[in-house]
Amino acid sequence: MKTIYTFLCCFLFIGVTNSQGKFLTKNGAITFFSSAVVEDIKADNNQVLSIVDAATGKMAISILMKSFLFKKALMQEHFNENYVESDIYPKATFKGTILNFENLKSTESKTQVKGLITIHGVSKEITIDAIFTKLKDTILTKGSFMLALADFNIKIPAVVANNIAKEIKVTFEFNHIPYNKK
Amino acid sequence: MTKKKILIVVLFTVIIGAFIAYKIYNKPHVNVSETKPYITLTADKIINDFSLDETAANTIYLDKIIEVKGTVLELKNENGKGIITLKTNDDFGNVIGHLSSKSTKKINTLKEGQAITLKGVCTGYLMDVILIKCELIN
Repeated sequence: MKTIYTFLCCFLFIGVTNSQGKFLTKNGAITFFSSAVVEDIKADNNQVLSIVDAATGKMAISILMKSFLFKKALMQEHFNENYVESDIYPKATFKGTILNFENLKSTESKTQVKGLITIHGVSKEITIDAIFTKLKDTILTKGSFMLALADFNIKIPAVVANNIAKEIKVTFEFNHIPYNKK
Repeated sequence: MTKKKILIVVLFTVIIGAFIAYKIYNKPHVNVSETKPYITLTADKIINDFSLDETAANTIYLDKIIEVKGTVLELKNENGKGIITLKTNDDFGNVIGHLSSKSTKKINTLKEGQAITLKGVCTGYLMDVILIKCELIN
């Protein structure tokens, strides 16, 4: 966890002199959706921290696992205690680069973000399709992708195998604004 | 006669079992406003605990209902969800409270610089300490 913090610190302070600074959001939204035979499960997190370096197109995202809210308290409990073990792994992170960042426009443009995603202590290289809108004072991004639970060593007991999908759809929407410390 | 009795007992057990299973499955979410806080502290104290040793602070505060006293730095209403930032003495981290829909309605009565107490569930530390399902305590 210390390393993430250090990383964030560096990210924020490197190149302060750069005219194109850091853009960030502290209330980005991530939703995941599992569609299985028995039931559909959805969880929302509206406290996602996402930082974009407007000079280099690098992106860093930090997610608190306990911030995911489920419709049913029991699902939330199982998610935190049994599946993602959020007491041991309280955060999920992503560090990567926005491809073709310098050519993004003020209208919605498709691109990809390539980087390393870490969930449940397991890191994996990933390339995500995303739609970016780059304005003077905001960088908007949204998109969705699929994640396989097995890739992150998340085991689903056989009893509930029909309740939880093996692949989870993750949807995100971040509205980054220029960072200035109050 | 005994067969009938056994059948009744079995049936009864099944019904009770199903009822308990249903109750557990539909277990309600924690009610923040009606639960006694685990701890009451200042915004400065909690951010310092997290910035000094995040792992230790996680074991103390994570998933707990806590009351945080502080001064309002920023008030926001994003898509109908109230967000209050409490000022701290930390260099760049604050305490961010995401309000419940009930408390969001009261956000207009607050001013920046006002001293308030927020009660919510601590979900951890990013740049700031995050509290969710917050209620305003007078």
